[in-house]
This record gives sequence, C-alpha cells and structure tokens, in this order.
Amino acid sequence: MLRDVVSDAYRNVIEALRTVTLWLEKGLNLVFTQKYNPLYYHGALPNFFLWVLYLSGLLLFAYYVPTLEGAYNSVNYITSRIPSGALFRATHRYAADAMMIFVLVHFFRVLFTDRYREYRILPWITGVLLITVMFIAGLTGYMLIWDADSVALTFRTMELLNAIPVIGPSVTALLIGGQQITDYTLTRYMFLHFAIPSSMLFFLWWHYLRITRPVTNAPLALNLLMFGGLLMFCGIFPVAIGQAPPVNLSDMAFIPQAIKDVDWLYMFPQGFLVTGKTIGFAWLVTLGIPLGMLLLPYVQSKQFVGQFAQVVSDNCTGCSLCYHDCPYEAIEMHDRDDNTKFKRIAVVDVGRCANCGLCVGACAFKAIEIPRSQTPNVFAEIEAAMARAEAAPV
Amino acid sequence: MATAPKKLNIIAIVCERSVNFDKKLNEQNQIKECPNVTVIKVPCSGQIQPSMIEAPLKAGADGVITTGCRIGDCYYREGNKFLRERLLGERQPKLRATVDRKRLQAYWLSALEFGQFTQMASSFSAYLETYESATTG
Repeated sequence: MLRDVVSDAYRNVIEALRTVTLWLEKGLNLVFTQKYNPLYYHGALPNFFLWVLYLSGLLLFAYYVPTLEGAYNSVNYITSRIPSGALFRATHRYAADAMMIFVLVHFFRVLFTDRYREYRILPWITGVLLITVMFIAGLTGYMLIWDADSVALTFRTMELLNAIPVIGPSVTALLIGGQQITDYTLTRYMFLHFAIPSSMLFFLWWHYLRITRPVTNAPLALNLLMFGGLLMFCGIFPVAIGQAPPVNLSDMAFIPQAIKDVDWLYMFPQGFLVTGKTIGFAWLVTLGIPLGMLLLPYVQSKQFVGQFAQVVSDNCTGCSLCYHDCPYEAIEMHDRDDNTKFKRIAVVDVGRCANCGLCVGACAFKAIEIPRSQTPNVFAEIEAAMARAEAAPV
Repeated sequence: MATAPKKLNIIAIVCERSVNFDKKLNEQNQIKECPNVTVIKVPCSGQIQPSMIEAPLKAGADGVITTGCRIGDCYYREGNKFLRERLLGERQPKLRATVDRKRLQAYWLSALEFGQFTQMASSFSAYLETYESATTG
C-alpha cells in the first residue's frame, strides 16, 4: 500500500531527526547541565519573551502617536529623547525575533521527537494558530514605525491582499481603514498590534487545555541568561530608525519600493515581492507553510488504534492518584453506585488517552492497565528472569 | 570457609525510549556486555510501580536498576519525574521504606547513552559484590 510506504519513509526520516536532536541535547547537557538545558524548556522560553514584549511594549505604547505626521517623529522621540528609549525599542524588536526563533525551536523539537500527533493534535493545531497570530503581530509592529520601510511594507502588503479574488479590496480596506492611507491607517495598525498579541493569551490557554501541568516557565537562571543575551544583542546592534516616510502618499512616484531592512522571520511574503518573486509565489509560500504544518500529523499512520487505559473496576478504590498524575487530563473521577464500599471510580477519556501507562505507575491497587504492557506480564517477566538466574550454573 | 563468588543477578526495568537495547541483548534478555543484568522493557519509566522494584528484590535479586529518559525530556511529559519522586518518597505510591536502597539505582539517560549505562551498571555490580560480602560477613 502506498499509504504504508509513505508512512514508513516518513517515520524513518523523523527517527533520524530525533537522533540528531538527542545528540544536540547531549551536547547542550554538557554546557548547561540537565537542569538548565534550554532544549528542555523550548516551550517555556517563548513565553518569557512574550512577557518581555508585553512589558517593553507598554512603554513604547505610552509615547507612540498613531497619526501620519506624528508616528515617525514619536518613534524618533522614543529612540533619542526618552532615557533608555532606544534600549526599550531594541528590546521589543529583538525579543520578537527571539520569540519566533524559540517558537521554531519548539516546533522542530516537537516534530522531530514525534510529539505532535494523535492525542497531541489540539496543541499542534493551536500551535500553528499561535505562530500565525504571532506572525501578524510582528508584521503590524514593523508597520507602526512608519519610516520609509514601513510605507514600503504597507504597499507590498496591500498588493498581496488586493490579489485575493473577490474579497481582496475589502480586506485591504479593513487593514488600512478605508480606501486610502490616512491617520486611520495607523490607528488600525495600533489596534491590531494591541489586539492580536493580547489574543495570544487566549490561544495559549487553548494550547495548554489538554495538558495537566504545562511547563510555562523556565528556571529563573535560564530566563536571566536569555534576558542578558538579549540586552547584549541590543547593545551591539542598536535599532536605528529608517528614512522619513514620504509626505505625499497619493503619488506613487514618491512611494519607496524596496524594504531596506527585511526581517525574514516576519515579512517574508513582502520580502519575496521586493526580491522580484511573483505575488502568486508569495501567497503559495505564505499559505503553504501553515497548511503543511496542519497536514503533517496525518502523514504517519496511527501508533495505537483503539487502545487506551482500562480501569479494572473490581480493584479501583477511587483514590484518584491516577486522576492527579495523568499528564493529559484523560482520567475523570465518577461517582459509583455498584454496591461496593468505594464511592468513586476512575473513568478514562478515550480520545485523550496517550497509552503511556503513567496511571499504571500511579496505581497501588492494580486497578488500571494499558493493553500494550500489562502489569501481570511485567511481574511474570520479572519472575521468569529470577527463575532463569536460579537455574543458571554459578 | 571460602565459597565461590556468587553470580550477581540484577534486574533492569527500563523505559523503551530511554537507553536503546536493540541488538544488545541475548535471547534471555540479558545484556551481552554484562550478562548479569536482565532487561525488562516498559513503555515509560512512569509505568514502573514501586512494587515492581520490590518484587525482584524479594525474590532474591541482588540489585534493581531503573532507567528513564533525561529529566526534562520525558516523551509522556512526566514519567521519569514521577518515578524519581516515588523512589525518593515524595509521591504516592512511594517505594516502601523496607526496601534496601543500596540495592537500587535509577539512571536518567537518553537513547544514545548505552555506553554510560553499561559503565554505571558494571560499577553498580562491583559495588553490590562488596556490599554482599560485607552484609553476609
């Protein structure tokens, strides 16, 4: 079957990438030790940068003026007049890049270690949503600066949006707040740059929904190390402001065509246009990446079809240890009324069960089993090994 | 009276995603390089109940080894952390206080670290030999 061939080939690729990941982690363990290995906090580190972004953004927000005339000057004012203003701007900008970089590390590690499909499908889908949302948040941030690059970026974005069949012009009008670029455009950008990053908190909640104890924070030492690195980067590569925007935006002759400083993490579709690719190509890549991400979990066939933890109701005392230990919120405690002396019983939510057996380890009463490795079999193996040792010649 | 040194018998209950034992075992699931260690695989170290550690010791095994992935890198998120806490008596169900801790070792190793496993297992085995002779007099 073609399905099996594709699935097997794909699994082999992922297996090889897993080995590469493990080597990388082994190396990092030598530097950071197991306790502070950044690859063990790949999901928590973007969170740290998100909070750096929220806080540094607050100060920028306090001084930003969202009008055509005021925007560029206010960014200039923040950069040159506010104490540490340039540092805050640099922090805000580079933290956005750092966050995207660690999100990608998170993405690839989860992919390479095969932790993204079946019972993990919800975190995967919401993760793709989060990356998309983050991408738009970053893009609107670059537009807010309103230097010549921002103007070029706006026009490139309008080109892309206008190319959408039927609804294109309406979407463009939604983005810039009307038919033309006016003060409303910058108000719109500021709203988007506020609303979209805030919505990430909602998507993060959704991202964590099926995980009992998500690792949302890295150790303080690691966060401080990241922050120190970020500050150093800000010091070495201070953020400048580009050329002033053209005063006359209605005459295309004055509109800058090139984006001098393309951030490929956040503006690759516009970057493609600037480097001479077609609109079709830019859209193909922009839509292809998230769609491809969403399809990846279905390439490989399922590992355990129809298998999940089984509660042995005669043994279950309703102690709820498995309920607390299940990492995927897959066990619920229900009332029982089957004339036993116990009041509650564990019930497995089939769709969430990972078949991992952590509930088995949590149970002191042999009351829960996973089909692929049952407790009696493990004890039988131990017994057999002991018997062999007894029989073996000394 | 001098007796011939007893052949040590160590049971290793291992996470199948941790140390990779492919092609390292004989037909009796003993490690070729150190045949006094018999390997029993489970899907995750989090599945290991404390009673699975007690059973071989009660039946006369000289030592028990458990392995899990590096702490921080459990495929099922928390299995190795939970086993560690059970062994340290910080999580229910705990390993019973009567279990001789000197006969038990837990390793947190990735799939790449078979070499480290055999090294640690053989020094554990050497330790158990001196421990046996000390306790039996």
